[in-house]
Amino acid sequence: MLIVTNLHAGYGLSEVLEGASLNVKAGTVVALIGANGAGKTTTMRAISGLITPTRGEVLLDGKPVQGLGAAKVARLGLAHSPEGRKVFAPLSAEDNLLLGAFPWLPRFFGFRKKAAPDLERVYGLFPKLAERRLQLAGTLSGGEQQMLAIGRALMARPKVMLLDEPSMGLAPVIVQEVFRTIERLKAEGMTMLLVEQFARAALEVADYAYVMERGRIAVEGTPAELSRDERVLAAYLG
Amino acid sequence: MPFSIVAQIAVSGALMGLVYALVAYGFQLTYATSKSINFGQGELVMVSAFVSLSLIDLGLPYWAVVPLGLLFGALLGLAVERAAVRLALEQKSEGWILLTIITGLFLFSAAENVWGRDDRPFPTPIPSAPIHLLGVDVTGLEISVAVGVLAVMGLVELFKRRTLLGKAFEAVSADRDAGELMGISATRTVMLSYALSGGVAALAGILVSPITTVGPTMASAMILKAFSVAVVAGLESGFGVVVVGLFLGALEGLASLYIGSGWREAPGLALLILALAVRPTGVFGKAVIRKV
Repeated sequence: MLIVTNLHAGYGLSEVLEGASLNVKAGTVVALIGANGAGKTTTMRAISGLITPTRGEVLLDGKPVQGLGAAKVARLGLAHSPEGRKVFAPLSAEDNLLLGAFPWLPRFFGFRKKAAPDLERVYGLFPKLAERRLQLAGTLSGGEQQMLAIGRALMARPKVMLLDEPSMGLAPVIVQEVFRTIERLKAEGMTMLLVEQFARAALEVADYAYVMERGRIAVEGTPAELSRDERVLAAYLG
Repeated sequence: MPFSIVAQIAVSGALMGLVYALVAYGFQLTYATSKSINFGQGELVMVSAFVSLSLIDLGLPYWAVVPLGLLFGALLGLAVERAAVRLALEQKSEGWILLTIITGLFLFSAAENVWGRDDRPFPTPIPSAPIHLLGVDVTGLEISVAVGVLAVMGLVELFKRRTLLGKAFEAVSADRDAGELMGISATRTVMLSYALSGGVAALAGILVSPITTVGPTMASAMILKAFSVAVVAGLESGFGVVVVGLFLGALEGLASLYIGSGWREAPGLALLILALAVRPTGVFGKAVIRKV
């Protein structure tokens, strides 16, 4: 569903990604783990088009999408829930969700009605958001904002979801809740690429995993394989 | 001095202040999406007024000229975005400041060459006879200014709050990257804001022309005051520019009454300096509440 080949990207003159390749098959959850600064977030940003890759290819459902720009890639079915959540602070929670569905909703009128079933689904997944639907997103707690960010990505009816550090800065209880949600989405057949600091938790939910080091994929394998790899064990699962 | 005259002058001034508010609102629209403003906005006001006047000269009725003038202003706004703003924004440079000033100078020279340097009256079917309202005389033209300004600002605000495209506009204003991730093109949103801003500038020109006449310099003082209003009110609040616009307009009227007509332009600049010294985010500027 998402095939990344030899991706190079960076900021200005400094190259952060030096040829990352990965493959996310339909209906699977793939984890991308690694130390801070290894290039995980840059990989995500280069895939979704927030930064333009200098080299390499990104295939979304068989179509090359590199260099198209984030808005077009999003309209082609890739939903990226970015690091730091990036909810629209001055808009209500529900408006945030509606904007997640921007690619397929009518632009002027009747969008609320058309989005109703999808809103129901997200509120079913996150009942807290239903309670807070009219509250400004900037005033929600960190956990609620994370749920909003995931819900907003779901509203796009994406083919692939990229989740960047969904557990960042959250209390342990909330982290568990986030991972339960990821498991539930997986059970529903959602294809996901997950970047996580909590390598152990990520490997529990993932079907396959990549370990990044200095802008490259250093090790890859199933979670079981990686758990037996001594280097991975020492560096990330210690 | 009798109170009725003071009230009269304050009210007339305040109504003219709504024109500053409208132009300031145009600054806010583009600032919201792109953190850039068109320093040649005054020339958009002036050229749109001239084009509308030419359409009237061609024999079109006033009520047909108004929408055409707005459309022309919107197209001119798009042209400014394309010519002076987009490249600078893509390169994360502040080049748009100089480029929009240059575009304004270009439009100014073009207007002088096409329409000449003389001020010309702008015919309108709106009656200029005064109507007695709550103790003061208000002319039909002044009422048309108030109605036009408030109606258009209200419509734009409704668009932003009630339509999905309007919410997308707000989303890009809040977080450009996150907007892109929702499939909202930031470039097109910025274009939309420049088109709206240009349309708003054209409306200001059409509303004010019958009162002030049309000439190449018609907007050069107005734009300074609109800028003051935008800075004093803050670059976020549409309600704020209306309040500050009314206030500044009234203040100008009173300054020319009590101090002398040469002092008419002083309050705007004084307010600008005061605001920059005391409250640079503007009186109505708000810090977004954000939990991390």
